[in-house]
Amino acid sequence: MSDPKTPPPAPPVSGPGSPQDVPPLPGSQPIDPATLPQSIRDELEAPDPAAIDTASAELKDGINRCPKCGSTEIRHKPGTDLLVCLYCRNEWDGARVEEAFGLGEGLRDLRGTVVASGARDIAADAASLMSFKCTACGAEVTVNTESTMTARCHWCRHVFGVNEQIANGAVPDAVLPFHIRKDDAVARIRQFVDKRRMFALKAFKEQFTPENVVGVYLPYMIVDGNASADVAGKGEIKTREYTRGSGNDKKTYYDADIYQIERHVDFTVDDLPLESSTERGNLDTRVNTNNIINTILPFDTKNAVKWNASYLVGFTSEKRNRDVEHLRPRLEDQLLSIARAQVESSTGRYDRGVRWEQEQLDVHGTRWVSMYLPVWLYSYHQPGRNGGLLHYIAVNGRTGETMGSVPVQQWKLLTAALTVGTFIEGIVLWILAASS
Amino acid sequence: MSDDNGLWLLALGPTGATALYWALYRYYRNTDKSHAFERETTVEAQPVTGSDRKVDEIKGTRASRISGENGGAYRTRVQRVSGDSS
Repeated sequence: MSDPKTPPPAPPVSGPGSPQDVPPLPGSQPIDPATLPQSIRDELEAPDPAAIDTASAELKDGINRCPKCGSTEIRHKPGTDLLVCLYCRNEWDGARVEEAFGLGEGLRDLRGTVVASGARDIAADAASLMSFKCTACGAEVTVNTESTMTARCHWCRHVFGVNEQIANGAVPDAVLPFHIRKDDAVARIRQFVDKRRMFALKAFKEQFTPENVVGVYLPYMIVDGNASADVAGKGEIKTREYTRGSGNDKKTYYDADIYQIERHVDFTVDDLPLESSTERGNLDTRVNTNNIINTILPFDTKNAVKWNASYLVGFTSEKRNRDVEHLRPRLEDQLLSIARAQVESSTGRYDRGVRWEQEQLDVHGTRWVSMYLPVWLYSYHQPGRNGGLLHYIAVNGRTGETMGSVPVQQWKLLTAALTVGTFIEGIVLWILAASS
Repeated sequence: MSDDNGLWLLALGPTGATALYWALYRYYRNTDKSHAFERETTVEAQPVTGSDRKVDEIKGTRASRISGENGGAYRTRVQRVSGDSS
């Protein structure tokens, strides 16, 4: 404890060592670390966390221009990763982040927490409403980043996109454009529901209009990890099986050897997607059907392109509101699950099964990249207690994987179950009556 | 003798009804589905290492499986030991 009467000397307000001074070059140290003791040197030379800068300086003013003619009428060409200029028909594609930022490499050497610039923590005071000054005419244009990332200037008709990586979490590092077209998504949803009509809620069937499907870009954190896991538990091998007693009192007994098993596995995980929105990450099937959207994972995130708001024209988006640290428990849980799946094949000889009792996880390194992933969403609101339930039918905008929640007509389902139960019971009674 | 068999068979009706209800309910609502990250994620694992040590044996048990088996229930968390062993 320091003496309260003599406070440490305040840092100089100006001059060397103050914020007024020109900041030193990144990575430079005032003292040569080679002259310092090993432990301090290790700490000084340890890598910094945020390492990948994905901000695109060329799009900072919000106007995405066609590289050929300069028009801002840019759309995503459906079914491809290309952007197309509606004015001169020029087509070009965004840089794949996998190569541009080296996201697929060096998983085994991953150490610490590497956070891409679009996945940084959300500032508490960051507003979701953003206003731009149109660089073409000077008017103010407002974009609500909760749901949209593009807008048109009312005065000069220029199209704006939010490209600057603002601290409200709305701008990710990368985006995966839609490949599945709307009519394809509609057909898939129709096919999904056609297989589930008999016990579906009557109102759902009457109001079923899959054409109302909307394309949404949902926020995800794509995580690479390098981890080791240890699990310990008991396994049993059957040594003998025999029966005692006779007739109807025949009972089977087993003898078994009990083993203490320990397993260790080092593994790397590539592109594990985690929902980075509180609402979407809540997979409680009693109050929502977000598990439907969770099921259509994964996406071919290797093909994600560098963020460009023009991909989002005509689609809505949801904003990220979870930071890396919020998602870490979920990541560790999934890494442990993966580890347990990995060691299962090594316990094949335990024919009476394995009971794991302890597990341990060492996460050596993680790399976090935030992405917008494309989902076609059809929703139906079923009225009920506590505000009812929103049923989703979701189509993966890349792979076309479809999953959905179709509300059931309870009385029909119960009637069917009771009818079949009664029928089985009838057969049982008939057999009993015949045998006695 | 036949009483024993009869009682057992009588449970078939309610069991069948419940099983059908839940099977259909899940088929419509898909409440049991989620992202199968254990097998749908690219995982590169080094060979699994470990040890197996016989600690005990049991004689004459009626159970055909180990109690509390969770070898296939990857998502059931067990006691978490502190991460840093060094």
